[in-house]
Amino acid sequence: MKKINRRRFIMCSAALLSTSMPAHALWPFLDEKNEPAGSADITGKIFKGDAPEKPWKWSHEGFLYEKLSGGRVMCGICPHRCMLAPGDRSVCRSKVNIDGTLYSLAYGNPCSINVDPIEKKPLYHFKPRSRAFSLAAAGCNFRCLNCQNWEISQVKPHEVRHYELFPPDVVKKARQVKAISIAYTYSEAVTYFEYMIDIARLAKEQGLHNLWISNGYINRKPLLELCKVLDAANVNLKAQSDAIYRKLCGGRLEPVLDTFRTLHEKGIHFEMTNLVVPGYVDDPDLVKRMCAWILKDLGPDYPLHFLRFFTQYKLDRLPPTPISTLVRFRELAMREGIRYVYTGNIPVHEGNNTYCHNCKKLLIERRGYHITINNMIGNQCKFCKTVIPGVWNDE
Amino acid sequence: MKNVHAIARVVIATGISSIVTQLLVIRELLTQFSGNEFVIALTLFNWLVLGGIGTGLSHFVTRFHKKAGIRLLGRLSFLLAALPVIQIMAIRILRDDLFIHGASVGFYPTLTFTFFSIAPYCLLVGFVLPYSLFALRSEFPDYPGARVYILDNIGDVSGGAFFSFVLVFLVSPLTAVFFSSLPLLVSTWLLFPAQRRYSPTILFYALLTLSTLIAGICFETESLKPREGKLVYYHDSRYNRITVHQDMEQYTLFTDGTPVFSNQNLEMAEETVHYSLSQLEDVQDVLLVSAQGGMMIEVEKYSPKAVDYVELDPEITTVQFNFGLLKRIPGLNIIHKDGRAYLTETDRTYDAIIVNLPEPETFQINRFYTDRFFGLIKEHLAPHGIYSFSMQGFDNYLAEPQRRKLSSLYNTVKKHFANVLLLPGQKVFFLCSDQPLTTDIPHILDKKNIETNYISYFFEGNITTERIKYLNDLMDPTVPENLDNSPRLMKLMFSQWFTKFSTSPTGFMIILAVLCLIYLARISREEFVLFSTGCMTMGCEILVIFAFQIFFGYIYLQIGIIVTLFLAGLMPGAWFGSRLSHMGAKTLALTDIFLIIMMGLLILGLLKCGDRLPVVSFLIFGFLVSLACGFQFPVALYLRGGDNPAATRTFSADLIGAACGTLVTSIVLIPYLGIVWAAAGLIGLKFVSLAVIGLTHEKNQ
Repeated sequence: MKKINRRRFIMCSAALLSTSMPAHALWPFLDEKNEPAGSADITGKIFKGDAPEKPWKWSHEGFLYEKLSGGRVMCGICPHRCMLAPGDRSVCRSKVNIDGTLYSLAYGNPCSINVDPIEKKPLYHFKPRSRAFSLAAAGCNFRCLNCQNWEISQVKPHEVRHYELFPPDVVKKARQVKAISIAYTYSEAVTYFEYMIDIARLAKEQGLHNLWISNGYINRKPLLELCKVLDAANVNLKAQSDAIYRKLCGGRLEPVLDTFRTLHEKGIHFEMTNLVVPGYVDDPDLVKRMCAWILKDLGPDYPLHFLRFFTQYKLDRLPPTPISTLVRFRELAMREGIRYVYTGNIPVHEGNNTYCHNCKKLLIERRGYHITINNMIGNQCKFCKTVIPGVWNDE
Repeated sequence: MKNVHAIARVVIATGISSIVTQLLVIRELLTQFSGNEFVIALTLFNWLVLGGIGTGLSHFVTRFHKKAGIRLLGRLSFLLAALPVIQIMAIRILRDDLFIHGASVGFYPTLTFTFFSIAPYCLLVGFVLPYSLFALRSEFPDYPGARVYILDNIGDVSGGAFFSFVLVFLVSPLTAVFFSSLPLLVSTWLLFPAQRRYSPTILFYALLTLSTLIAGICFETESLKPREGKLVYYHDSRYNRITVHQDMEQYTLFTDGTPVFSNQNLEMAEETVHYSLSQLEDVQDVLLVSAQGGMMIEVEKYSPKAVDYVELDPEITTVQFNFGLLKRIPGLNIIHKDGRAYLTETDRTYDAIIVNLPEPETFQINRFYTDRFFGLIKEHLAPHGIYSFSMQGFDNYLAEPQRRKLSSLYNTVKKHFANVLLLPGQKVFFLCSDQPLTTDIPHILDKKNIETNYISYFFEGNITTERIKYLNDLMDPTVPENLDNSPRLMKLMFSQWFTKFSTSPTGFMIILAVLCLIYLARISREEFVLFSTGCMTMGCEILVIFAFQIFFGYIYLQIGIIVTLFLAGLMPGAWFGSRLSHMGAKTLALTDIFLIIMMGLLILGLLKCGDRLPVVSFLIFGFLVSLACGFQFPVALYLRGGDNPAATRTFSADLIGAACGTLVTSIVLIPYLGIVWAAAGLIGLKFVSLAVIGLTHEKNQ
């Protein structure tokens, strides 16, 4: 037999390897992380040369970033880790590189302010019936096709009308309206992290709670910093599928799961929401997978909300989620072992109520934002004295 | 001579098939993409431009293959008969393969998809018409080009009328394709000499075409099945495509691919009904212009004496009641009529009028949000009465384009009512009355003992006093009102649509303008005359339909007749033109003057008489404009020498002009400048055409 030389061996191996690569697509046990997104991956792009020449009044140097060669910087807040050359704008539209320094342009300029019932977030296990001073600045690191707040999340800070409210003013205002907490919500608070953390630190000092309503797309380091002052969070778990994350939201699943793990590790009360989008997220297997992960990594105690989908923004050619799908998913999740599962965006339904996981009796009956029955005593079930997970009014 | 008749039959049959395909493809694209005026104009524009390019291509092909033959014409015609099925199926299938299922698509992707999906058919149909002429001339060198134009128009008019007055009422789109392509299939088969018709190749082509047409019918419903749930009802009515999807116990009604409402969306029904009716002491007579699922149950809580429910499309009401989306309540009276036409004719007054129509994205819907319409509403409202309508809402921030849109509506309606209150939410509700209005809806519902599931428990959290104040304070008094003659709201709708997709049509418009200038610089004066006439004819057609709908409502049959007459005049016009073509450029100038006068008269009539103009005047106008357009074609062709290259170039000029007229009139002139200035713009174009004729005439002398 003719001997093969080393060069030929390497060449042949490389050829074999490269020709076998497409077979990867047919591999039945494909790792979920790399599941193909299909025809579209809508992840946002960096806006080249889109930064203003100078920082404006509502700018603040980035909380966490790395200076690189040639005046480039890398933002460290979210998993996009935007690498910005001077004059570039980040995926979330809020961060810019001006002369080698990373600035957030969303600091002290919220574009939306409201006082909301806490149940609207939704946070069912955190100080029921309280009111949250809610605010948002422009920007988001996702591109969700069904975004409810696309008018502020998918725009640049200078494109919206805004208030001027620096951190001390926010805390003052929250106190004025007798809110017990401040919610960073509507758009994506991760994109105005610098503003959020400064408000949160001040609020904490003054006895106000901090609520984070987010897609959970954040790096561990800034999240750990946030956890020091955070009281509760509602984080979206869009789907237990990386492909859906890329196709409908422009993000990845794994960093979001890491966020849940970190919040759990730090003992922060959080609730999870899952918007059941017909044709994408209304798959019982997906729900089972999600529940299995929750139980394994987080335990059974964190409330899970299945929300009804209505046409929004660009996702406007799908029917609403049938109510029975949500009911079925709630039952499924509870069967799997999650203790507190709710249905949302349905006006009056038993899926809005809290039942004790031990004695199964009705603890809190909710009709919209009203609580009509409350059988909690402190953090315990009135009937069997079981401690109900969450942060309750008498604590 | 036999061949002449055979080719003539193919040309007529191509006309029939192509016009039906055009109408069906436009409807299909509107269903798959946004149904706004921009997309409508864009689709028609692409169609006409591609047709023009196809015509131009035939010129190049015949340059290299001197003798055009029946064999190629036959094969192309078989393909042309089968292609509509493939095209419609491709649009349905590729929509979800190329774009994200369930998501709407922005301007540039729509433009690209539309262009490429219709390109094969349009290029071919544009190619075949002049190629038929070349085939005729290969046997009869003096065969007049204008005659092919006339034959094509005979086909177009017959096809248009066949679709609008017969097929649309009776059959589904792919069955309509079958019936409209059958004459083409048969005439193509007969095109071949008797001894060759039964040859295996010809029979294979014929049978393949026939199978494709039949397959279209067989797979029609299959191709419409939704990914989620199942299709339980499907019908293409004369107005739009109506489908009902069932997912578990939920029925959702879709019109043109967009979910309108479901039997489980009761929040919206509550908001639509109670925000307005709760304001009244006593509710006796209610008028609903269109309806939301579940609305009747909510209306019934007030025990009204009479509820008149006006719905344009009878198919919609059938579906609503059959699938339990609406309930038949005592006193309900269903009227199948255009809402505006109904209000113009009736002398009834109502305690409450609730208009529940989609966003004003088309000229047809815009009529329900104008100054004159609000005046009409006021005439039919009792002194204590309330009028309400809604626009797309927002959650936490009112974006600028939407603020301008709502401000325009606010400024328009405020002229007619002492009090106008805007309530925010998933939809923004306009409550209009001369009586004081209250914002505490849950409280008044409580006082009236009316039970609701949504308003009673969610209103206080969602529609807070601060949110109401925020919205009402943001209304900008400087935004222009929305008028019938100047539909500013549509301009704002376009701007909102572009904002949603973070895009702008500027790039497209610049490229188009540059291409147009290059084209205009290269064409002859006769071609320019035809270009401007094509532009004006389509512009006139859009203006006339727009004006007709304002004054008389959307009356399907009459609008169908207007469209038909805009085609019907072309035939006699071309016939006269071919007889008087020897009179030269003078006749072109005279017809240009005639068109200018006609346009001037139309505007005068619209401004001075408005709805007193008899319907017949619109019909006569359409016929005369198309007569002039048809007349100019043979004259221009004659002046250009009448040879094959001249024929393709004149055909192209007419089509490209029509494409530009469609686009510019519907998305620029009317929304940005209003009817009068749109007409003035078209008149201006014709003056340029006159100057071109005059100047070049002088130069030639």
